[in-house]
Amino acid sequence: MTLDFALMADKMPEILSGLWVTIWTWLVATILGAGLGFLVASARRYGPAPLDWLLKLYVEVLRGTPFLVQLFLLYFGGPFVGLRLEPIPAGLIGLTIYASAYFSEIFRAGFEAVPKGHVEAAQCVGLSRGQILRRILLPEMTMLVLPQCVNMAIILIKETAILSIITVPEMTGVISAIGSQQYAFVEAMFLLAIFYWVLVETCGYLGRLAEARLSKFRFAVP
Amino acid sequence: MSWRLFELMLWAAGYTVLLSGISIVIGLGLGLLVCAAKLSPNKALSLPATLFISFFRGVPLLVQLLLIYNLLPAVGIMVPSVVAAVVGLSLCTAAYQAENLRGGFNSVPRGLIEAAEMVGLSPFQQLRRIRAPIALRLTLPALVNEAILILKASSLISIVGVIELTRMAQNLAASTYKPLLFYSVAGGLYLVICWTVAGGGSILERMTKAGRT
Amino acid sequence: MSDVSTAPTPAAQATPQTATPAVLVKGVTKRFGETEVLQGIDLAVPAGATTCLIGPSGSGKSTLLRCIAFLEEATTGTIAIHGDPLGFAEAPNGQRTRLSPQNIREVRSRIGMVFQQFNLWPHMTALGNVCEALVTVRRMKRSDAEARGMAQLRRVGLENRAKHYPSELSGGQQQRVAIARALALDPEILLFDEPTASLDPELTGEVLNVMRDLAASGMTLLVVTHEIGFAASVGQRIAFLDHGRLLLNGSPREVFGEPRHPRLAQFLETYLDRGAAALL
Repeated sequence: MTLDFALMADKMPEILSGLWVTIWTWLVATILGAGLGFLVASARRYGPAPLDWLLKLYVEVLRGTPFLVQLFLLYFGGPFVGLRLEPIPAGLIGLTIYASAYFSEIFRAGFEAVPKGHVEAAQCVGLSRGQILRRILLPEMTMLVLPQCVNMAIILIKETAILSIITVPEMTGVISAIGSQQYAFVEAMFLLAIFYWVLVETCGYLGRLAEARLSKFRFAVP
Repeated sequence: MSWRLFELMLWAAGYTVLLSGISIVIGLGLGLLVCAAKLSPNKALSLPATLFISFFRGVPLLVQLLLIYNLLPAVGIMVPSVVAAVVGLSLCTAAYQAENLRGGFNSVPRGLIEAAEMVGLSPFQQLRRIRAPIALRLTLPALVNEAILILKASSLISIVGVIELTRMAQNLAASTYKPLLFYSVAGGLYLVICWTVAGGGSILERMTKAGRT
Repeated sequence: MSDVSTAPTPAAQATPQTATPAVLVKGVTKRFGETEVLQGIDLAVPAGATTCLIGPSGSGKSTLLRCIAFLEEATTGTIAIHGDPLGFAEAPNGQRTRLSPQNIREVRSRIGMVFQQFNLWPHMTALGNVCEALVTVRRMKRSDAEARGMAQLRRVGLENRAKHYPSELSGGQQQRVAIARALALDPEILLFDEPTASLDPELTGEVLNVMRDLAASGMTLLVVTHEIGFAASVGQRIAFLDHGRLLLNGSPREVFGEPRHPRLAQFLETYLDRGAAALL
């Protein structure tokens, strides 16, 4: 077997456009997913009990089924209930909903992880509920959940590859198409693997950097 | 949906469980080896282990599967697609399990090892009698979690043509033109499987809790 | 150190003349499920003096303090701060009615609390911790709040640690910042919940010294503590709790002097090896 990466070189513009789709769908789905996840976690914490049960079901169903099946249900099943989506919007919506379930669990644990005493200390100096949420819970939680959020973001980079199955023109779709056209599929997959590897390791490195910078805010547990 | 079709779905769900189970077991064995290599002071062992873990955790499983599925024939290894799929799943989960195990070994309290040292256990005895049992117990929740992840990730082997639960749903959805029904049933079956594994895991955890450190 | 230049000596105010006590606890019980942690406590904490609450672990002393801070709600009974009811008002017929949240916050803002676990907010500097409530609750200008915060940090001897985060401070320093945080709001009463219990022995001294200074300045302190030596030397009133009941309440001489209550003697036994009982 010979590997011929030269074949790939003149396809650079297409490859770059695929890379761009991968990156922006990832960023949008991560940000929207984290936002939605935060809303779900807050609603479960502060909302009425029935809402908590309903959202628990939402989270557990999404966490208990493969992303691919969720995506198929949305993309192929959607038209039967009047929801006809193009591949990219379908992929974005699917990935956002999928991500929201995992993010909501991260935030839920984050709420729990802020020591009760920190809230009590805030009550004692007279902060209101809203002030406690804004000034104490949120900032402390952000530091506590940052590592898991980075981890989830990394998982989501990899999940974007699955969008190629519903023909989203992201990196995996573009590069495997080029590979088949040129009878260089193995080469294409190697290139692809290395792309993702670099992307994931870079993201992980940046995450660790951010964590190290925040480490001085960490608890000094007595 | 007729009972006949539901039976097909159930059969496919069983196949999903079987293939995932095989991959988890192979992955655990391989993960132990990779973990041992990674913890070794010998750079010639630890460096490849580090690369292995980084690569298989850093590349989407879909890409790994496509790569292995096409690479094996290209280097002259002709195997059925299901073998390629299990190889792919096993390698991927091995990387994750190696990291989980490493975490387990690193969280064995230092004092327990020192106590073993003081009562005269040899390094190998310390590993076999003290460190490994404690580390494995500490790793159990992560192992259950990993099993659930692989059960869900196994849906991707449908892409290389293995007729497991997702592929079966896809085929039946296409032939009956009822995607909502079949993907929902597939989702429901995945839920039942995952919740069963999670439930079993927490029972197992409770059973081993007595000896927790 | 203090802004009260004419601080009376502890001895001079051993029997405070103030008519209304700083804290008046009447018939307080507290039940957690089946267990009754407080079984009817009546206690008057005099203003301008230091009262120490002592007792074995599980005697309910921390729960009582947390009820006074309204972090726990008493199951029955009432608590008043300088005559103003906290949390519940009691009608002449004994019926309790819950007061408005604003009223609760208003009355509680006159109380400062220092916790066993410090509970400094980890994402704020020492100065940030001290100024937080001044800015967000008292609506002070940040520069004014910081000036005041610095003054409080100076009072606990930590003005040179203002920009440090809690994780960069020792346990004793963290607890002193926590005291400054409570002092910044100018409370009428300062509550301490085992302030040295989670500190290494060599760090308890710096915290106890700050507390000694506060006591000498004539502030009203209510201190739950295991430091019997501190209680005996600084406390002007000693309250001894056992199994949710207030067994003894009086001056150190009355409480520790002979003949000792058998439960107190038994409790002090556990401190004999520290040499603390010998000091009494």
